[in-house]
Amino acid sequence: MRPVYSLASYTYECMECHRIIPSPEETLRPLTQHTEIEFNHGINTRCFNCHHRKNRNAFVDDFGAEIAWEQPQLLCAKCHGPVYRDWQAGSHGRSNGYWDTARGEQVRLRCIQCHDPHAPPFGSMAPAPGPNTLRMGVPAPPAHSGKRDPLRVYSGAEGAGNSH
Amino acid sequence: MSRRGFLGKSAAAAAGLAALAAAMSPLRHLKEGDLPSVEDFLQKHYKEMTAAQKARALERIRERVRARHRVEAVVTDPPPMDGVEYVYGLNISRCIGCRKCVHACVAENNQSRAPELQYIRVLEMEKGSIDVETANHHYTPPLVPRPDKWYMPVQCHQCANPPCVKVCPVEATWQEPDGITVIDYDWCIGCRYCEAACPYWARRFNFAEPLIPGDAINPKISYLSNRPREKGVMEKCTFCLHRTRVGRLPACLEVCPTGSRKFGNVLDPNSEVHYILKHKRVFVLKADVGTLPRFFYYFDERGSRYHDPIEPGPVHATGEGA
Repeated sequence: MRPVYSLASYTYECMECHRIIPSPEETLRPLTQHTEIEFNHGINTRCFNCHHRKNRNAFVDDFGAEIAWEQPQLLCAKCHGPVYRDWQAGSHGRSNGYWDTARGEQVRLRCIQCHDPHAPPFGSMAPAPGPNTLRMGVPAPPAHSGKRDPLRVYSGAEGAGNSH
Repeated sequence: MSRRGFLGKSAAAAAGLAALAAAMSPLRHLKEGDLPSVEDFLQKHYKEMTAAQKARALERIRERVRARHRVEAVVTDPPPMDGVEYVYGLNISRCIGCRKCVHACVAENNQSRAPELQYIRVLEMEKGSIDVETANHHYTPPLVPRPDKWYMPVQCHQCANPPCVKVCPVEATWQEPDGITVIDYDWCIGCRYCEAACPYWARRFNFAEPLIPGDAINPKISYLSNRPREKGVMEKCTFCLHRTRVGRLPACLEVCPTGSRKFGNVLDPNSEVHYILKHKRVFVLKADVGTLPRFFYYFDERGSRYHDPIEPGPVHATGEGA
């Protein structure tokens, strides 16, 4: 979570360029820079809704003041109040470490560590293999003797699919 | 003795010897260490062991793991914490059915890999329905979640009124003060009554010798949870008590990429699960069977689901109340 931008194997801090290069006032598409950003954030289509006009190392709050780059949840809370409330209380978002904070630290990920801020819907992924257990797996086809061994499950790829 | 009588008797004796040999034949395949030692044999029920006997039992487990798996294990027996009752919350608006929890659980709890044994089942159901009878746990699409489906992981619900405990004829399974139902694997006789009694299909039986390949064993083990099991005993989810009783989060929760899983002490008014029970819409599975689960499913407000965008609803132009 750092305000950096990678281009052709170089990594820049945002302000390395934006200290001298101004951005256009209206930032509707099409852009001439940052064209690789896939944008899918609903009606929120303007860069300066979230990014600070002057200081690219910060976000912007409702009144034009800066929000530190390390506190993105304060930015997202501008629109996503109920989710912010749930995240604060712990019912939204990923946690790791200790449930008992008296015994150890609990790490709670912030919004943009799971969601791409430019395309926030949580992505899909390939599922891990399904159960091939004795009671839940696909039973092995009968051996040549015609007997079915209940302790054998079928590990073949075909047929392990959508049967119930 | 007549010749006929002699032949008959010797045939009977031969048959008897053959039957005896057949009955004893499994003993031929015994390896060293397969038979319990005298100390193993005399080991008491977990709740009746003194501290010294318990320490000896843990030491025997450590030795057995070293002999069988060539791993130096750390064997503990963490006691329940005072003023703690565990509750699990699972956000079904966020679960995407990726099954990462299933496999993290297998690795953490030293479940048998062949035959495969899993504590968590992820059910895939049609959106708008909750019919566990027709739910599918064998789904294999290239990508999850499928847009017209929703996912419901099921594991041990750690019931406050557990039917599995009531049916055990030898009291090998019981509920601990922090709400976790555990098994003394050395006391279990493998009758599988508890498996039949559980309405959530949360208990698993070791039909065959459990097999854990070489380096896959988790060396941090405890007596009541993830120590390696023997053939012929039941096992189940213990909310990872070897982790949770020292304050850590369970393995299934830590691996979840969506943060759907929540765990904590429901007696603590500042805990996450306390907030969920107080503020979220919550349900338990099969509430009508009266098991009082400590595993709660909850969901978020409409429109918060990743593929359920908020669309303006139909405008109600009725004169009612307007």
